[in-house]
Amino acid sequence: MAFLEVENLVKEFTVTKKKEGLKGAVSSLFHPEKYKVRAVDNISFNIEQGEIVGFIGPNGAGKSTAVKMMTGILHPTMGSVKINGISPHKNRKAVVGKLGVVFGQRTQLYWDLRLGETFELLKRIYKIDDKMYKDNIKMLDEVLNITEIIDTPVRQLSLGQRMRGDLAAAMLHSPTMLFLDEPTIGLDIEAKHSIRNFIKQINERCGTTVILTTHDLGDVEELCKRLIVINHGKIVEDGPLNSIIERMAPYRYLVVELASPHHNLFHPAAEVVKTETLRVWFKFDKSRIAATELISDLSKTYPIRDVSVKEPDIEDMIMEIYKKPVIF
Amino acid sequence: MLENVKYYISVALYYFKLSLQKQFEYPAMIISCVFMIPMMYGTGILLLYFMVHNFQPLGGWSFPQLAFLFGIGYLSHGLMMVFSVQNWWIESYVLRGEFDRMLLRPLSVFFQFTVTYINFIGLVDVLVGLTIFLYSCKLINFVWSLHNIITIAFVIIGGVLIRSSIFTIFCSVAFWTKRSESLFLLLNDMLERTTQYPMTIYPYFVQFMLTFIVPIAFISFYPACEILGKDGRIVFPLEMSVYTPIIGIVMFILANMFFNLGLKKYESAGS
Repeated sequence: MAFLEVENLVKEFTVTKKKEGLKGAVSSLFHPEKYKVRAVDNISFNIEQGEIVGFIGPNGAGKSTAVKMMTGILHPTMGSVKINGISPHKNRKAVVGKLGVVFGQRTQLYWDLRLGETFELLKRIYKIDDKMYKDNIKMLDEVLNITEIIDTPVRQLSLGQRMRGDLAAAMLHSPTMLFLDEPTIGLDIEAKHSIRNFIKQINERCGTTVILTTHDLGDVEELCKRLIVINHGKIVEDGPLNSIIERMAPYRYLVVELASPHHNLFHPAAEVVKTETLRVWFKFDKSRIAATELISDLSKTYPIRDVSVKEPDIEDMIMEIYKKPVIF
Repeated sequence: MLENVKYYISVALYYFKLSLQKQFEYPAMIISCVFMIPMMYGTGILLLYFMVHNFQPLGGWSFPQLAFLFGIGYLSHGLMMVFSVQNWWIESYVLRGEFDRMLLRPLSVFFQFTVTYINFIGLVDVLVGLTIFLYSCKLINFVWSLHNIITIAFVIIGGVLIRSSIFTIFCSVAFWTKRSESLFLLLNDMLERTTQYPMTIYPYFVQFMLTFIVPIAFISFYPACEILGKDGRIVFPLEMSVYTPIIGIVMFILANMFFNLGLKKYESAGS
């Protein structure tokens, strides 16, 4: 049995179509045109304890809705979620006591009060005993420098500090699973780095399973061994980062540096994707032509000074996925 | 069981502490309300006074009797303002997805919602109510016997429960419709007009509705009738020290059920 089991999960929202103008508003009042939107469309996957899984997809793909169903906030239209064998929809209290959840765009901290006050409230809510509380604060201080900001009113914290506070608040009761919805949104490089370091550390030290939604590819590259890509409510890819890149972007780039400017470079098996004065980028499918072959062909025709081969990165892969039309 | 009660109390007290601390962060707002609210209601009671003196007793009730009725009703209103004003905001909680966080905590959402806020400014209303009540007690020669004190205490606690439960039920409509503000405004007006005046000035049908459908008449009207020996048109066996708190508790349970039913329809908010 997997730690988190998601089976055929569907969430439909009923939307009332609004017509234009006052006349439309009146007619919508009497004859509302309702239709259903599937925000999450039949997704299934399992996650084992101790994994860090990246949940990625464009805005409105259904990531947040899926996370809200996994954490028991939303009831699914169909399908089921089980965390450690228990459904958060049938037995919410038993499940959520073991979860930590952070929404990057919203805080659970008391805005006007010092950070420590929220911690004290959580200590009571989660029945955290003094020893565990002390140990956890100590651990959180090591990875997030939490004591440095614990006495500051939350409204005076910078975004990065506030996020550290939110992460600490989510970890106080030692959850076995952590859901992070865009934890690095709007943060500077340094703050991002400290958040990523935190995620790595708690995963290693406490064995916490982490599900992370993000638009930041750096997060994914640094943290996630496994990716779930969601688009239009459906899972389009699920697997290790490398193999998804391999499958989605099975091409390479050859960057050619010319000795003298040259126009209209051409090769039948490769495509010119970018040109600067002395540099040309070729995109080629490595199953159609080997890099060595391409280089030797090109060097026969053009004055080449230098070449380099570039692997596609995660950004290329994501672009491929987002471009892909949906098949219903 | 005892452990559980202790747990809930410690959480509730900490919520209260935080919401008070939060309000003391902005003393200016508190000061302005402390001056404004008594002025508003002071003029209300003065108006009533002039009306009664210049015209005639209202529905057979003299000014001291009317003030007594007003005082009981206003005390439970004030306490409701202190402990459960957040009912008024269910709509914005729904629209802004504020129940998300409560759903993520291993505690009943209704409990968290009930204890999430304590409104310090509401104490002003309690003070106004208390003043009017004590003043009227003097006017009607209220006997401070143990029995009477217990009756008043039970009636006020029951009244607070009835008031806040009615608001919970009506404002929870927002779970389905996303909007409940107009219902809330209607209800607020209705509560004001029916707990501050004797119900005998309204048609019998209205009193019947406010007794058996929405039990507002138990907040102040029937208790005042009983203590003042007035005719309340509908006669009940037993005393109001029994009815008001029991109806309050029943209403509170119903409110909890209705709130939970609504919560199933909760759709959060996009982020």
